[in-house]
Amino acid sequence: MMLWKNTINELLKIATKIRSYIGIGALTLLILIVLFAMKADGKSYIGFVTASFEQTLSFNGKILNGNLIAFIIMQMLIVHVPLLISLVTGDLLSGEEASGTIRMLATKPISRSGIVLSKWIAATIYTLIMTVWLGFLSLFVAKWMFGTGDLIVLNSNGLLIIPEADLAWRFGLALIIAFLALWTVATLSLAFSAFAKNSVGPIVSTMSVIILFTIIGTLDVSVFDAIKPYMFTTHMAAWRSVFEDPYPTSAIWESVIILVAHIAVLLGITLIRFNKKDITS
Amino acid sequence: MKSVFLFVFILTGVVGFGQTAEEILKGVIDKIDLVEDYQADVQIKAAIPFIKVPIAKAKIYFKQDDKFKVESKGIAILPKQGMSDLTGFLSNEKKYSAVLGEAKTINEHKTRLISILPTDENSEIILAKVYISTSEELIYRTVLTTKSSGTVSIDYEYNLNKKFGLPNKMTFTVDIKKFKMPKSVASDIRNNEKEKKYKDNEKGTIVLIFSNYLVNKGISDEVFKKD
Repeated sequence: MMLWKNTINELLKIATKIRSYIGIGALTLLILIVLFAMKADGKSYIGFVTASFEQTLSFNGKILNGNLIAFIIMQMLIVHVPLLISLVTGDLLSGEEASGTIRMLATKPISRSGIVLSKWIAATIYTLIMTVWLGFLSLFVAKWMFGTGDLIVLNSNGLLIIPEADLAWRFGLALIIAFLALWTVATLSLAFSAFAKNSVGPIVSTMSVIILFTIIGTLDVSVFDAIKPYMFTTHMAAWRSVFEDPYPTSAIWESVIILVAHIAVLLGITLIRFNKKDITS
Repeated sequence: MKSVFLFVFILTGVVGFGQTAEEILKGVIDKIDLVEDYQADVQIKAAIPFIKVPIAKAKIYFKQDDKFKVESKGIAILPKQGMSDLTGFLSNEKKYSAVLGEAKTINEHKTRLISILPTDENSEIILAKVYISTSEELIYRTVLTTKSSGTVSIDYEYNLNKKFGLPNKMTFTVDIKKFKMPKSVASDIRNNEKEKKYKDNEKGTIVLIFSNYLVNKGISDEVFKKD
């Protein structure tokens, strides 16, 4: 019960901070810019996708539709949304320390683990809101603006056309996996937050880890091959696998397990660190 | 002796010996000219290297001289050459010269090859090899060599609309150039598979099955206006 009340408190704290709306505002603005750009010059983007085949084949039907726009938006923003998430979640513990409210928080009739868990649940809800907002803008607004239709996906093996009737569950599952990836980032920044005394450190550290791991992941050097499958950044794009045919069930499960394992380990580290922390501020 | 002459006469008549390339083509063109307009439902089944596409359904519209439109709710892939441009090309007899070639049996239909060379140096079609059944005045195979699309081979099957020369099935075999992925667009980070080995050029097939033809029922020009 105390955990629930504290979680409500944490959500209220998030809701009253301006920085919480920076993420949602930036996300909205970015998506609106992409929608505007696609409305203005989306056909040239399509030409870029189908260019390899245009000499021999003609593509008929509504290629530039809401489903394609949603896919493009998800692909573009999944790299940047973690920064917007960590802006809030990286402040959850360190912000209390920086503002000197952590001592008062620790005097409440709730265990230190309870404090961490309530902040983690609040971070999870914030991440969920961001993911749902991303899904709403990219799917519903894009479909309202561009209509609906089959999805054309470009990957290294060529083009895949997925029928419209087969897309709703794919987008739903893709958003769930994208949420898992963002939840991992939120938990990572919360873990950094437990070690820091101000909120800049956790935010910068989270982004540094993402950039570092992404670079390692893209380096085509065999020395990193052994660790690549276990880095969470490798699995942050797992949502894209949902749009493959045949649908790689085992690979997606592997990604889900690794992301959930990261969340569990990082939450464990946060709990241990916060329970052992000397609160002196 | 009389019966031998009669046999030879019938034989030459059936396989088209004695007819010139222009005469054989005229029979086909006359059939094409019977069609002022048509619309039909079409099922498109494509097996193309580098492209995975489900079976698509579309509606096609044609109106003389060269108005052609494909209306599809989903994404439908069609060959760039050989849909309506060939009939348009054949109808204009001044724009090509025809040479009679060998006899060949295609799907149990006896045909004569007619090689068509455009006289216009800027023509998109470089060479068209058309296999025509002289008895039915129908095209059963076309091999088009074009400037931009390479070689396209088309096999035709006819059913209810033979009299108009409209096929119920067309099988296109097209050249597909090696796929070059724009790296900035494709970012399947998870894809760790070794790059598949493809030849520089591969063949793809597109099968079109036509149904519900409506011929010469009149189609408004509005239909052909771009969306």
